[in-house]
Amino acid sequence: MTLHQPEQRAVTGPGEGQAAAPARRRPARRSGKAYLYVAPAFLVFAAFLGAPVVQTVQYSFYDWDGLGRSTAAGVSNYVSVFTDERLRDSFVHAGVLMLFYAAAPVVVGLFLSALISRAHAMRSMSFFRTVLFLPQVIATVVIATIWISIYSQDGLLNQTLRLVGLDSLSRVWLGDHTFALIAIGLVGTWLNIGLCLVLFLSGIGNIAPELFEAARLDGAGRAREFVAITLPSLRGQIAVALTLTVVSALKTFDLVFITTRGGPGNATSVPAFEAYNRAFNTGQVGLASAIAVVLTVVIVALTVSISRIAPRESE
Amino acid sequence: MNVSRTERIVNQLILVVFALFAVVPLLGVLLSSVTPASQNSGGFAIPDAVDFGNYGAAWSRGNFSSYLLSSVLVTAAVVILSVVLATFAGFAFARFDFRGSSVLFYLLLIGLTLPTEAFIIPLYFNLRTIGLTDTYWALILPQTAQSLAFAVFWMRNQFRGFPGEIIEAARLDGCSDLRLLWRVVVPPSLAPMMTMAVVITMWTWNEFLLPLVMVVSDSRRTAPLGLALFQGQHLTDYSLLAAAGVMVALPIAVLFFALQKRFINGMVGGISSR
Amino acid sequence: MAAIRFEKAQHWYPNAPSAAVAGMDLDIADGEFMVLVGPSGCGKSTTLRMLAGLEELTAGSIYLGDRDISTTAPKDRDIAMVFQNYALYPHMTVGGNMEFCLKNAGMSRDERKRRVAAAAETLGLTEYLDRKPKALSGGQRQRVAMGRAIVRNPQVFCMDEPLSNLDAKMRVQTRTDVAKLQRDLGVTTVYVTHDQTEAMTMGDRVGVMKDGVLQQVGAPMELYDRPANVFVAGFIGSPAMKFFDADVHDGSVTVGGHSMALAPFGGHDGPVVVGLRPEGWRLTAPGDGIAVTVGVVETLGADAYLYGTARVDGGDADVIARIGNRERVGTGDTVHVTADGPAIHLFDRATGERLS
Repeated sequence: MTLHQPEQRAVTGPGEGQAAAPARRRPARRSGKAYLYVAPAFLVFAAFLGAPVVQTVQYSFYDWDGLGRSTAAGVSNYVSVFTDERLRDSFVHAGVLMLFYAAAPVVVGLFLSALISRAHAMRSMSFFRTVLFLPQVIATVVIATIWISIYSQDGLLNQTLRLVGLDSLSRVWLGDHTFALIAIGLVGTWLNIGLCLVLFLSGIGNIAPELFEAARLDGAGRAREFVAITLPSLRGQIAVALTLTVVSALKTFDLVFITTRGGPGNATSVPAFEAYNRAFNTGQVGLASAIAVVLTVVIVALTVSISRIAPRESE
Repeated sequence: MNVSRTERIVNQLILVVFALFAVVPLLGVLLSSVTPASQNSGGFAIPDAVDFGNYGAAWSRGNFSSYLLSSVLVTAAVVILSVVLATFAGFAFARFDFRGSSVLFYLLLIGLTLPTEAFIIPLYFNLRTIGLTDTYWALILPQTAQSLAFAVFWMRNQFRGFPGEIIEAARLDGCSDLRLLWRVVVPPSLAPMMTMAVVITMWTWNEFLLPLVMVVSDSRRTAPLGLALFQGQHLTDYSLLAAAGVMVALPIAVLFFALQKRFINGMVGGISSR
Repeated sequence: MAAIRFEKAQHWYPNAPSAAVAGMDLDIADGEFMVLVGPSGCGKSTTLRMLAGLEELTAGSIYLGDRDISTTAPKDRDIAMVFQNYALYPHMTVGGNMEFCLKNAGMSRDERKRRVAAAAETLGLTEYLDRKPKALSGGQRQRVAMGRAIVRNPQVFCMDEPLSNLDAKMRVQTRTDVAKLQRDLGVTTVYVTHDQTEAMTMGDRVGVMKDGVLQQVGAPMELYDRPANVFVAGFIGSPAMKFFDADVHDGSVTVGGHSMALAPFGGHDGPVVVGLRPEGWRLTAPGDGIAVTVGVVETLGADAYLYGTARVDGGDADVIARIGNRERVGTGDTVHVTADGPAIHLFDRATGERLS
């Protein structure tokens, strides 16, 4: 029988000449393997995404036509971004698109989901969810093709207007100076309403029913209930919806390229298109890079600000 | 929760209205695609004759057989590459302790937020210098890089949640590291991996800007690019365009219907700015 | 030889102010069933995991036979482990789970099948071999976890609270199964639990741990009859031993104003802690014992346990006494109890060490 006296307690703390944990003897093998596992992914990432990003910034400080030699340009490209009317307009247009792509669908989505807040529990909900989400998975090129025909002279929009007797309003929407941008914006609204509705309804589905019951007992009406309970609980979903939609508005390229190429005139120019055009068509690579950098900065800044709305994981 | 009858009807009504709103343009293109060209003026109309010839025309004359094949090739390559690379990397981030792991991971996260425009310009010129433009690699590798940001993030999350005891049991059972990852950790994680694969498939298939910049020769055009070209050539041949559009969108739409939950969870879960 | 020796083995968690396991010295004989028991956080699981190689040794060594396995990889130690949550591979069948490690070792298919069949036979799992874990009950899963350990024919079994996820009835049944299995196989086993009943009934020897330090190691009854300190005394035995501050004077100790004679113990007069197990007390006449106000009497078939309070040193102290099941004692009654010398445990008031 081995009886061990609790004098052993003395080894904790300053015992055996150790004031704290003794030096570890760790096999270094584990660390090496980790790098091996991460390397392939990281190499691809760095070579085809990471390095080019850094280069974009580098390019933005030069003037280059893509073929010959480049000349240093300092910050003149960035100055152009803010002073050139066409470029400035493109960012303004992006802002307008944000209203259509993000603000409208989110607001409408919130309103609707408040109205039909208990719909998430219905059996048919999964069918509706699929249908409402469908536009999101279709390639934007196809969507552009579809809406070109909708906006055409005898397309669906004009057909509907003629049907309700508003024939005078019909026009070739995408060729119209005033309405082309709005037409493109409405495509974004169409795209994103379903997404927002699905997101918010499922978010509402996650709110504990007891909260609503308690509110009802406390005498809250529908509106109050929405503001005090639903809205705060949806912060996470609102953040996600805003992030996805705002960024998609800023990144709009495919739609503009296919439908209007930035026209008519300047009416639908957007930053992404301007960057593409100047890099690959008009030989202004440096300027294009500056546009790309500014666009990226705006996107990242907005993404970060929106994420402030979202509750932190600990909440 | 008891929903009153009127409320249920109102709910259904609103949902139906917005479902229609979402679906009518898509229905329109389906109808348009089978409308004989002569009858089609671009509007929403139910044709009195159904003509599938538009599909045949788009397939052969329009070369969509080649375009679709290119898309399949590129998409498959990107998905496979991304899944394999991200599984290795995600596992390392989740379960190994190594210096610089946070830094590397945050770099990847930043990649999630960047738009294609942020890197495509130098990428094009880099690839032109080494003669890789207008090849499938010019499409596969950059898109893999983009997908990796999301994929590694996703896989790290999955593997973090994996029960540590099972990994310990496997180590005690004499499992080598590679075997451990692919035979013990991956099989139970196949469902979320499927979700990730499906989302990457959609993004890659639908990608337009990258092929637009990189590809010149017709044989390497992917479907969306082919459609854009087609659009330029047949501005008012609405039936033909509709048929081509349907062909481009259909594979992903079918995948979507088959795996709805996965799609939605994956897209929302990857709060990616794509 | 599968004797185990811990030599000043320590484990410190990163940035921890004190050791999770502090300088453990322990010898386990070949074929012995050693149970490590203690409250949550006492370091018993950590010790087990150090043995299996799942936690690294911050200092000290562990020997298996005469091999120093302190830095050997887990898979090379020839030690099998049964996890608390079983850790079965969810995508493999029962058979697959059991043969996985044999596959890793490169064993031939026939040999694998043979071994798995034999282990399944022993554990009554033969008809479940093709099922997946999610189709099994808790008890069956537990057996698969054991089967996985058995097929390896290891030198040591490590078991980390394998019964804690079973319901009470299954636990009792499985307890005897595990003990029998170990006796039949004769494999050195280190078993960790927080349940002192399991420790007392299953172990050849029991090690009680607290705060990373081994308090006492010995046969169950040794721990019961001669606990080394207050902690062990209060941990082992149910219902638990109760303690009272008292003074020794002239070969007897006074508790609650009542003096009891002590068995000779070679110690001095002075303040002590007195410990008494329920069976140490006996009912006696008023004036001849300590007054106890009865709170509750629990009759457990052949015995009854009286839970009450006595006034000791101006405060209330808990008393648990075992009484005959025919005694007519009820809540609120006052009884008198006393104890005989041999039943009185004495501990040093300052260190908690055993004095007698």
